[in-house]
Amino acid sequence: MLGDIITPDLFAAALRMATPLALAAIGGTICERSGVINIALEGMMLTGAFFGTAVVLVTNSPWLGVLGAVGAGVIMASVHAFASINLRADQTVSGTAINLLALGMTGFLMEIWYGHPGTTDQIGVLRPVLTLDAPGGGFLPEVWRWVSGIFLSHTPIVYITILIAITAQWAVYHTKWGLRLRALGEHPRAVDTVGVNVLRGRWVAVLISGGLAGLAGANLTIEQVGSFTEGMTNGRGFIALAANIFGRWTPVGSYLAALLFGFADALQIKLQILRGVISVPPQFFLMLPYVLTVIVLAGVIGRAVAPAASGIPYRKG
Amino acid sequence: MTEAHETTPIQKRWMGAALKVGTPLISAALAIGVGSIIVWASGYDPGAAFAALFQGALGTPKAIGDTMLKSTPLILTGLAVAYGFRAGLFNIGAEGQLFMGGLATVALGLALGDVSWFLAVPLMIVAAMAAGASWAFIPATLKARIGAHEVITTMMFTYIGRYLVGWLVNGPMKEPGGIPQTYALPANAQLPRIASLFSEGAKGAVPLLNLGRAHLGIVVALLAALAVWLILKYTTLGYENRAVGYNRWASETAGISVQWTTVKALCISGALAGLAGAVEVMGVHHRLFDQFSSGFGFTGIAVALLAKKHPLGVIPAAFLFGALAAGAGTMQFQADVPQKIISIIQALVIFFVAAEEIVLWFVRRRQKEAMSHAG
Repeated sequence: MLGDIITPDLFAAALRMATPLALAAIGGTICERSGVINIALEGMMLTGAFFGTAVVLVTNSPWLGVLGAVGAGVIMASVHAFASINLRADQTVSGTAINLLALGMTGFLMEIWYGHPGTTDQIGVLRPVLTLDAPGGGFLPEVWRWVSGIFLSHTPIVYITILIAITAQWAVYHTKWGLRLRALGEHPRAVDTVGVNVLRGRWVAVLISGGLAGLAGANLTIEQVGSFTEGMTNGRGFIALAANIFGRWTPVGSYLAALLFGFADALQIKLQILRGVISVPPQFFLMLPYVLTVIVLAGVIGRAVAPAASGIPYRKG
Repeated sequence: MTEAHETTPIQKRWMGAALKVGTPLISAALAIGVGSIIVWASGYDPGAAFAALFQGALGTPKAIGDTMLKSTPLILTGLAVAYGFRAGLFNIGAEGQLFMGGLATVALGLALGDVSWFLAVPLMIVAAMAAGASWAFIPATLKARIGAHEVITTMMFTYIGRYLVGWLVNGPMKEPGGIPQTYALPANAQLPRIASLFSEGAKGAVPLLNLGRAHLGIVVALLAALAVWLILKYTTLGYENRAVGYNRWASETAGISVQWTTVKALCISGALAGLAGAVEVMGVHHRLFDQFSSGFGFTGIAVALLAKKHPLGVIPAAFLFGALAAGAGTMQFQADVPQKIISIIQALVIFFVAAEEIVLWFVRRRQKEAMSHAG
């Protein structure tokens, strides 16, 4: 029975499930490093998922859909940036407004564009980059089966996400931009004093987080599901926030934390399939990622310190 | 600004009060304005849409009853969120606590059997409040002890609570038959409709008494608003709550236990949300099923913000959103505009309240104009 659960595709599914969480979590990390809390990752992801699907439905091109999703995320992020940076609104509240706006807007547009609530038509999806034949028996082919099964069976955004995590880690810790970004979230006054535009720096960070959350939405619809369903992000934006904290506000840390949640999700789905064997109601499996999120937050927070100026609007002079 | 010297303290006070009431009004007006633009841009007639909305919300006594019906849980979830805000806490998970309140209500109501209404209803209310508070307890403790962000934890508990209720109404508590729902509560465990309290003669004489589906829960909600206001204003509990909300460090220095106050605040907030679940179940559905709340917990956030976190302000704010929700069906039916526009308007209200600077900018411009006219 354990052999039925622990298979290459369990770990492959973990990587797949981790992808949207990781993208949003890295977005959250960059945003919060600049001093702006992004509670709205959920809404930006949902908007990206919807507009990604809508663009594919019109153009029939998955890659244009990805572009549309990123664009939609950036536009939602600009609303958050304007409210929380320029208007110095309460960032948590402004983020909540965007989450509800995304839910209402996507539902509204579903009805006026597609004539019904619920789920859109199926769209053309992005296929796995490589297609590999299963090798025959023996030890080396078995190793290959695991390696290829786990790592080489994925759609493009899964790999793009790994690249983004590594690039973002490098950018945050080894570039001038990254140094300024971190300073913005710790001591914006100091950054201002040396002549860097605090508001612009924060705007860029918030827009990047929106783009990444939009890309996460694209992964959900254009790679994983192949259609849009109202509210389909299902709290992933909030789990991503937890992953960002668990990853201690670092891009690679966020990615690894997202892997943990992705694994929980993959395991949950796997166990549901085996429901005939172990009689546990499906709702308990569905709860698993949310329960894990609370446990992880409970276990880690005391030792994780958020950027000092996170959540505090900056007022010049 | 030489004018500033000429304003007397009384004038200042009046201006402060006007701003307090005025900015939410302007926020709501702006949100509805942007909503109309969206309706218009989507190819519908905003005039017809709002006429239908108004008709469905306030046009007849029955419509007014529907507005009261929708406002009832919103007053309570609005109070829940507002109470948290006053301690500097954002209870985004009122929806989950509401679910647990509904669950406790039905579980107890079905178990009590044939006891007096006067015993059953208060007991169920207490049980629902306890259930709501318990659902907030773990997030509250985590917040107080290690600072785990209550926005994430209460949200997670909302999902957990929904799945829990989903399991119960599909499994152990399911009524036989095809529909995933519990048995109906007996009459002694229901909140009666207001219209049923009056004789046909009285309703014939005063048509306004034909309040349709509005139920006694509205009284519970209004009393709760009054109670929360009194608690915040006149009790040590409320004082500590507000003090921690203003400044945790100063409160700690002054000898208030910030941790304990945090736990109490989030649990009381949860209890109020649980109460919303109770009145919704006892007054409207009389049973539990997956979708018994249409997002009242989340709309409660908009209510609390529009009310400027004031427990009595919650009442008119809840009526606004209750009216929008009650009129939405008529609007969709008569003007063909999707009901979801209401959620967009809700989100816009939150946005404009949060981004108060936009509103204040309007107000200041008005003031300047007024002054230049006067001068």
